[in-house]
Amino acid sequence: MAAASIASALLAVTRKSPVHSMLWVLALFLHVAGIFLLLAAEFLAAVQVIVYAGAILIFYLFVVMLLDLPDEEVRPRFGNHWPLAAAVGLAFAVLAWVARIETPGPERMASAGVPLGSLSEVGKVLFGPFALPFEIVSLVLLAAIVGAVVLARRRPAQS
Amino acid sequence: MIVPVSTILGLSAVLFGIGVFGFLARRNIILMLVSVEVMLNAVNVSLVGFSHHLGDVRGQVLALFVIAVAAAEAGVGLGLVIALNRNKPGAAVADLTELKW
Repeated sequence: MAAASIASALLAVTRKSPVHSMLWVLALFLHVAGIFLLLAAEFLAAVQVIVYAGAILIFYLFVVMLLDLPDEEVRPRFGNHWPLAAAVGLAFAVLAWVARIETPGPERMASAGVPLGSLSEVGKVLFGPFALPFEIVSLVLLAAIVGAVVLARRRPAQS
Repeated sequence: MIVPVSTILGLSAVLFGIGVFGFLARRNIILMLVSVEVMLNAVNVSLVGFSHHLGDVRGQVLALFVIAVAAAEAGVGLGLVIALNRNKPGAAVADLTELKW
């Protein structure tokens, strides 16, 4: 599952046609939902499928088809210094990998009773200690809706 | 089923790196936004991995918030893309040079 998600992510960022790229991202999101299931987060897996794969991806696909994008033309992509930048990035990745091996992870807690990630558990935490952030998220979504409408509205023909 | 947390973190890091690469390498503004979504998904994977590892539901709640913010970002970003497209057809970021001084 992890290998499949990495493969689909790689394909997603390398395909030329935007629609093919979108379909690979869809595959990636479904595989991530499967990983959530393996991690005993059933509710989050469902949300992943519905919100990401269902809503966000369809939204992106609508815009891609609305704009009728051509395939990406080949252009010089990076500046002249990209080997140096890639080397620095790889060195940082190796450093992080070494640090990850050296550091002992936190102890695994014994989960008791109710299976983690069941809907009732998530709901209790979401509407208990996290009630205020939940309301703030609703405000963020409202602001995003208003902002998107304002941005995408056709200007009245005045000037 | 016991999934070791280091595996999950490695997967999350690799996905995040792919997202960063896509964001830098794509020249199409919509696919750059999709790369951002891939990065957010990588963060979600690591949050859920820690939640599973520590036996704590809060990680999953944070991942829910991340999903909500990703939806908001998609809405605003695509609104911007449509507004840009009205001014100038095409979605290649290299063509957007009006702000270049």
